[in-house]
Amino acid sequence: MATNRVKDKIFLSGNEALAHGAWEVGLKVACAYPGTPSTEILETLAKFPEVDVQWSVNEKVAFEVALGAAIGGVRSLFACKHVGLNVAMDPLMTAAYTGIGAGFVVVVCDDPGMFSSQNEQDTRWVSIYAKLPMFEPSSPAEARQMVKQAFKISEQFDTPVLLRMTTRISHTKEDITIDTRSVPVQPPFQLNIQKYVMVPGNAYQRHILLEKRLQKLKTYSENSKFNCIEIADKKIGFITSSITYNYLKEQFPQASYLKLGFVYPFCDDKIRKFAKFVKKIYVVEELDPFLEEHVKTLGIKCFAKDPSFRIGELRPEFMSDIVNGKAKVEKKSDIRKPRMCSNCPHLFTFATLKKLDAIVAGDIGCYTLASLPPISALHSCVCMGAGVTFNEGLRKAFPNGKIVGVVGDSTFIHSGITGLINAVYNKAKGIIFVLDNSTTAMTGGQHHPATGFTIRNEPTKKLVLEDLCRSCGADYVAVVDPKDRKKFEEIVKQRINADALSVIIARHPCPLINR
Amino acid sequence: MTNKTCNILFCGIGGQGVLKASEICGWAAIFDGYHVKKSEVHGMSQRGGSVESHLRFGNKVFSPLITAGCVDYLVSFHQDENTRMKKFLKPDGVDLGKYLDKAQAQIQDPKHLNTFLVGVLSAFLPIKEANWIKAIEKVFPGKLLSQNKEVFFKGRRMIKI
Repeated sequence: MATNRVKDKIFLSGNEALAHGAWEVGLKVACAYPGTPSTEILETLAKFPEVDVQWSVNEKVAFEVALGAAIGGVRSLFACKHVGLNVAMDPLMTAAYTGIGAGFVVVVCDDPGMFSSQNEQDTRWVSIYAKLPMFEPSSPAEARQMVKQAFKISEQFDTPVLLRMTTRISHTKEDITIDTRSVPVQPPFQLNIQKYVMVPGNAYQRHILLEKRLQKLKTYSENSKFNCIEIADKKIGFITSSITYNYLKEQFPQASYLKLGFVYPFCDDKIRKFAKFVKKIYVVEELDPFLEEHVKTLGIKCFAKDPSFRIGELRPEFMSDIVNGKAKVEKKSDIRKPRMCSNCPHLFTFATLKKLDAIVAGDIGCYTLASLPPISALHSCVCMGAGVTFNEGLRKAFPNGKIVGVVGDSTFIHSGITGLINAVYNKAKGIIFVLDNSTTAMTGGQHHPATGFTIRNEPTKKLVLEDLCRSCGADYVAVVDPKDRKKFEEIVKQRINADALSVIIARHPCPLINR
Repeated sequence: MTNKTCNILFCGIGGQGVLKASEICGWAAIFDGYHVKKSEVHGMSQRGGSVESHLRFGNKVFSPLITAGCVDYLVSFHQDENTRMKKFLKPDGVDLGKYLDKAQAQIQDPKHLNTFLVGVLSAFLPIKEANWIKAIEKVFPGKLLSQNKEVFFKGRRMIKI
């Protein structure tokens, strides 16, 4: 980071500022799987030698490694995008019961507007569902302040703490004043079967403590400086959070505000107090009516955005329409759409699949762009790894269909391997193409187990995909360069009619990645 | 220093160096003592899509995005994007799109378009020349520095206000 420093001010994105803040309060371990808009958090942390950072195989693994470190007694962080948290929900839900040893912060970056995602789920609901406290910064500077506070309260209340970012906060850059690092002294790890072994009897006791903890956190929320009342014109008051606060401040500088930065547990007393101060209350927030529904349950009369504004990212120019109760006007987008690079090796694979008129089950990666015209040769995308499993499912409906599955190399390791084992075990047929460009290309080219390098470019043991697929029990495994069009097509033609489960690893490195 | 927040919109397509241009401008504003926010609209820039970079500086900046119709300076790297983004200008906003042809004629390497246009923009902004230089030094590593300084001044001197 030294290169980015000017006296005391540096120009940092929300993700970089958050990473900096975590480092300042003595972060020791950080784990993640790359995913827009969260990727730069780990990339920034990798520049600090004091932090043990890793690209994990997927979010569940990352979460568990980081939680284990926290229980062991060092400050740890897990970062993911919104859909990444779905993969880590299993450990998250029970981590709320075990609590932590040293501070543990779970950073989730939502993607309103879906700049690079398959849905726009609102992670704030997870705080209620998992019974975990949640911070929601409105700027990069606040992301830094809040992550520092998050570690503190994680230890104070013995709980994982959620920190919810959005693409706009993660990727906005701001001038920020930073601090030096100080590492707190942690109590040594102690065996505690009642706390860390979640079998029914122990978990029941932990659930009692969890409910008590939530009550204490509610008191914290009432007193938190991050839930802040700004009284000005008493005729109109906004209850808001995150980026929306900034948009409103510019459009309605004279209004009163209750800005919520520690969003869960809710600060009901503060909300009621604010409601008494001002005549007309508006709840304005991006995506779901998370604050709105809660404020309404308190019996407070408030105005909120038309449901049409729950879709997509908010923009500053939407604020007056929202306040005036108007519906969102959907405009046809005139932006130039991204497309597959002209020299992308995947183009060759899809040209062959298109020529053979195959139904192609896909998933998440650059290759999802193959669904766009004029290629239009990828026919499903739901989640990571589904290229492998949808092949199996579609074949149950169309046993004689010309169906194949495609999955990227990084995606295959993330969650395609289990699907392949399932296909072998349950006697599924067809071809699974591992579109191997030897990197995690969509998120900017991160290493994974099959590149043979760590997040810090250090050599490590290399996962050999063809060996793995063979040992999973695939009937046929071949590695082919898709740019060798003739040979590639020949093999595909031969395998597509075979009564077997074949894996074709279409291997050609991504030209964007210079190692 | 000006009290008003200054709104600059950089637009182009992936690979043209749009983000680098707003980065230089952001650093220059920081060196000049302003509060700065910068934000991009539309991802996947390496995949050839539209790229919009919003840069705002002033005493205190809330929104990182410029409200449509409030752009003070529109810096376009591509004619199509200039046409598309014009509607974001405020009535008396300055469209630097008119300098795009001249810029392209004056540079030898298309990689220099961003620095040239930053030079053009710099002539309109209340930021000291020394801070522009510091910003360029910040953003361009060793080998590229002297070339980019030269290109910056070519752009800056093209404008006579």
